Amino acid sequence: MAEPELKDKVEELIKDNEVLLFMKGTPEQPRCGFSMRVVGVLDSMGVEYAALDVLPALEPLREATGEIADWRTFPQLYVKGNLLGGCDIVEEMADSGELAEMLGGEAPSDTPAPNGAPQSAKQELQQDGPHQSPPMQIENS
Amino acid sequence: MAIALNEVRLLIEAALPGAQVEVVDETGTSDHLKATVTAAQFEGLSRIDQHRMVKKACQARFDDGSIHALSISTMTPDG
Repeated sequence: MAEPELKDKVEELIKDNEVLLFMKGTPEQPRCGFSMRVVGVLDSMGVEYAALDVLPALEPLREATGEIADWRTFPQLYVKGNLLGGCDIVEEMADSGELAEMLGGEAPSDTPAPNGAPQSAKQELQQDGPHQSPPMQIENS
Repeated sequence: MAIALNEVRLLIEAALPGAQVEVVDETGTSDHLKATVTAAQFEGLSRIDQHRMVKKACQARFDDGSIHALSISTMTPDG
């Protein structure tokens, strides 16, 4: 069973960060090929995202995400509070254009998200450069 | 040899009756596998839920360390 405090913290992070990547290593220094590939996809799209290095607390975080999202392997990409997937799904959705729609076509929060969001919106995001939010750390207590 | 490709295929087929399953060894070490699964059961599910079904079928082999990484590609029969 996951430690309740860690699980709460993880749920809070998922809720507070619109695009959140749990990865091995950091975006600057990925420590796993699959994590590196997801970072590559997000960076190439100019998406702003928060990244959490799971290595300092790998097993506790496996337990926590297992309970929260029924998924125990990393990387994991969460978008708007939901697990989108790992490397396979992220790459598949990037290739098909679905990821750009989902991440680039943000609708104002008071209107429902359109299904066919325009892809041009991602260019606006690119001005600010990738992953501005600093990598976060979870202490393995 | 960590696990027979055939065993992974059978596990997935047992969990998803009627599915078309192909499992290949990506590294030659039999622990980094790639499964391509076409199943009618995936209809209407999100990708992550489709992957959850495939992963769940092989969970015991992850837990005992036979499989280190399983790359998954899912499809429905009508594309």
